[in-house]
Amino acid sequence: MGRGTSFKRSAGILAALSAVYLLLVFIVPDQYYQLMLTLVAIWAVMGISWNVLSGYSGLVSFGHAAFFGLGAYTVALSLLHFGLTPWIGIPLAGVVGAIAGVLVGLPTFRLRGHYFALAMLAYPLALLYVFEWLGYQEVALPMHRENPAAFMQFSDGRIYSVIALVLLIVAILISRWIETTRFGMALLAIKQNELAAEAAGIETRKWKLKAIAISGAIAGAIGGFYAVILIVVTPASVFSMLTSAQALIMALFGGIGTVWGPVIGAAILIPLSETLHAELGNVLPGIQGVVFGVAIVLVILLAPEGIFWKVRDLLGRDDKDQKPGDVETVFSDPGELIERPEIMSGRTILEVRDLSKNFGGLKALQNVSFKVPEGAVVGIIGPNGAGKTTLFNLLNGFVTPSTGEVTLEGQNLIGLQPSGVCKLGVGRTFQVARPFARLSVLDNVLVGAYVRADDDETAFRHAREALALVGMEADADRPAGGLPSKEQRLMELARALAGKPKILFLDEILAGLGSSEINDVIVVLRKLTESGITILIIEHTMQAMLRLADHFIVLDHGALLGEGKPRDMMRDPKVIEAYLGKRWRERA
Amino acid sequence: MVTRRRVLMTGVAALAMSAVSYGSVFAQANPAEVKVALIAPMSGPWARQGELMKKGAELAIKDINAAGGVEKLGGAKMKLMIFDAGDTTEKAKNAAQRMVSQEPDLVGVSGAWLSSFTLSVSEVTERAELPMVTLSYSDQITSRGFKYIFQMPPTGVKQAEDALPALMEVAQKATGKKPTKTGIVSDNTASSVSFAKPMREGGLKAMGIDLLFDETFTPPLADATALIQQARSKRPEFLIMLGTSVPDDKLMLEKVNEFNLGGGRMPIISSGAHIGAPELLKNIGPDLLEGVMSVVGNWGAKGQEEIIQRFKTETGEPWMTQDSISAYGDMWLFKQALEDAGKADKKAVGEALRKMDTTEGPAKYYPGGHIKFDEAGHNVNAKLIIVQWQGGEPKPIYPPESALAEPVWPTN
Repeated sequence: MGRGTSFKRSAGILAALSAVYLLLVFIVPDQYYQLMLTLVAIWAVMGISWNVLSGYSGLVSFGHAAFFGLGAYTVALSLLHFGLTPWIGIPLAGVVGAIAGVLVGLPTFRLRGHYFALAMLAYPLALLYVFEWLGYQEVALPMHRENPAAFMQFSDGRIYSVIALVLLIVAILISRWIETTRFGMALLAIKQNELAAEAAGIETRKWKLKAIAISGAIAGAIGGFYAVILIVVTPASVFSMLTSAQALIMALFGGIGTVWGPVIGAAILIPLSETLHAELGNVLPGIQGVVFGVAIVLVILLAPEGIFWKVRDLLGRDDKDQKPGDVETVFSDPGELIERPEIMSGRTILEVRDLSKNFGGLKALQNVSFKVPEGAVVGIIGPNGAGKTTLFNLLNGFVTPSTGEVTLEGQNLIGLQPSGVCKLGVGRTFQVARPFARLSVLDNVLVGAYVRADDDETAFRHAREALALVGMEADADRPAGGLPSKEQRLMELARALAGKPKILFLDEILAGLGSSEINDVIVVLRKLTESGITILIIEHTMQAMLRLADHFIVLDHGALLGEGKPRDMMRDPKVIEAYLGKRWRERA
Repeated sequence: MVTRRRVLMTGVAALAMSAVSYGSVFAQANPAEVKVALIAPMSGPWARQGELMKKGAELAIKDINAAGGVEKLGGAKMKLMIFDAGDTTEKAKNAAQRMVSQEPDLVGVSGAWLSSFTLSVSEVTERAELPMVTLSYSDQITSRGFKYIFQMPPTGVKQAEDALPALMEVAQKATGKKPTKTGIVSDNTASSVSFAKPMREGGLKAMGIDLLFDETFTPPLADATALIQQARSKRPEFLIMLGTSVPDDKLMLEKVNEFNLGGGRMPIISSGAHIGAPELLKNIGPDLLEGVMSVVGNWGAKGQEEIIQRFKTETGEPWMTQDSISAYGDMWLFKQALEDAGKADKKAVGEALRKMDTTEGPAKYYPGGHIKFDEAGHNVNAKLIIVQWQGGEPKPIYPPESALAEPVWPTN
């Protein structure tokens, strides 16, 4: 299942959908239904716009009305004041939306989670008052009936439906393009774990800004078209909470994180709400809102990820439950470690000098210095709270050190973003594995491959090679969601390897695994070392460490307690005291 | 000899003739119904206004049909169709499109209450060549070159221009002198801003009135102290108070009362029918409202006492607001246009409306008492009405020909 075929398949679906839509446009009895079809397309596009930012990247926006409204006012005001036709006005609205997206994104991406969502809420609310203050409480688009085609003022409703379809197709293509390229991968990685994404070499800020710019552009353009359809623009009709909510509801209902979600949502909800309004509005005013609300609540309860995913899960239940690739039989007991004392005198690849970090009064790390030679496996050990993870975070750029230097092959790493550190050749795994459950194993690994690949093809090759290195080729097409924990660890290892790192930081990669599983992972890691990769590893399981590392670095209370050959360090009284207390040292 | 046969023949002929004539009588007694529509918010925050319009329109249809329907169409009965414009422009447009698509034999429509709805709806009716009569007074409605839109009240700009001279006339009549000092407290919604605009831009100065203060707020208001404090310290002779929502009106009026300026001690003039809504009375009470005036496009007024009375008993509403009386009048207006056109055809009805020039019939239901449209669809002789709360009821006090009560203006 390559990307090319999936794109072709979606092109087929798109063509079929367009044909059905056009057919409907031309067979429905009157303009009322044509208007409904137009509105379906408009809200589908708006849902896609929301999805491009919030569905893919997980940064929930309650403020997409801001872009929509700015687009609507761009078209209305440029037509009113400059006689600019909507044919130009709508693309212009897209540009305005994109600029607004960047301007909104720059400050707002400093926030995460709920804070981001709430901050986004503020923009349309503020704009609503700004436009009232500017005196644009009600802007009617001037009529140019002498030349309807030039000013997009057709009397035939079908033409609007066709224009709406074209806009929808453009939005779907943009969205599919994002989904199937590294752009989508980057956003997905951000959605899952922004820190891990940074560590995998993804410049999260850049991708997020790109996403909000594209999202804003789509929303702006469709807002402009909405103004053409409604003929009148009021702040309440385009900047209201309802507009933002509508975009979100379409995506939530149909399915988040896929381009088809908003399309499904709009195709069902818009006709449903309008029909309820038409049928019940006169009999029981307001009842349509209740029915509509109940329908949405039900869908959210029964299909929390939206209809698209629910249907896919139901359809795909059989073939997705493949048997896992038989990894166990491939590996045997790793046996004892063959000592390689010569490796420690090799060329230094990573050098740490006088590294310190203070969190307020807490000295998390004090004056730690060590060298990692090329091809070596260096274990960092120490009791809980010794500063092991802090050291990793300092090394790969999550935390800036208070003092000290870190160089990789002579290049400074201090002050770089994690993605920058990754670009220089540092791979990292995390204590808690976070697979992208909906993606295949291969796609999960692919996320990490883009950092060193210029094109998709190279990235694919790297990803497959990395999977081969950890012995998981057979699992490439399985969804990552159902993997057992060992495979998850190996997959994460493969993700780090796909970036072709010079040095690999492994943060407790064996935590939570059973003894036979530990053996399997150790075999994989040994194979890696044989291939010449340098590894820096944090681990609690001392026995495992003895079978892996060429060299130990022992930390205690943030300071370097000692370093040397693993066997020697294990017998060092200082080390025993740090781990087990004074009494044990005396016995030893 | 021949007689028998002839008698028979005659009898058959007579029978046939009577059958024919009976048939035609029968046909005349049941001509096809003529459909007119009301499109207004029936759900959402403005549903109450839609309901008031509906009640007025229904009463008119009942009256018209009871009086014999449309004479020229053989006494055809009129039938009212209701379309819910909902709470957004999108829903209003949808409703309009549904209306013109699914009821092609409509001859006229009244609506759509909110001016942004009317702007959107009238574009649809224009394309369908369906005459639309509206109470909305945004200037934009009749400035787009449409042929099938008919705006009954003076436009917003004209109302704002006319309001001040009218008010001065009221003051002059009540107190014998013209006030010279005022202040404005206004929210920043479309109707308030457009109402205050000509006053701010020289209108007050031209009337020789000093503007002592000019405060604008964004609804909803949290506290009106600072705004009304201005009125207490600067003591204008009347206050122009332009809110648009009941909570804001309430806050301001309570503060006015707290500062001992209420009950008409400081005349207050507002704009729009919301200040005369029955709900306001329930919310604020008659004491706070006493003496407050408002400039409106229409109101149940002099000459309509009998209709108002029947409206009250049939609907249980305490009085007839502009929404109800306008919808009532609009139905009679369509009836008149049908009589003039002589056929139940929307284009002919539109043509009849454009040609109409009358002070009779439906003209009684609109202030100014004269219906005549210019090319753009303005009702050229339309006048505004000023209502004033007196004894727990908003009563029309201006113009004199519509007034049901004398204006009260404090003389101190």
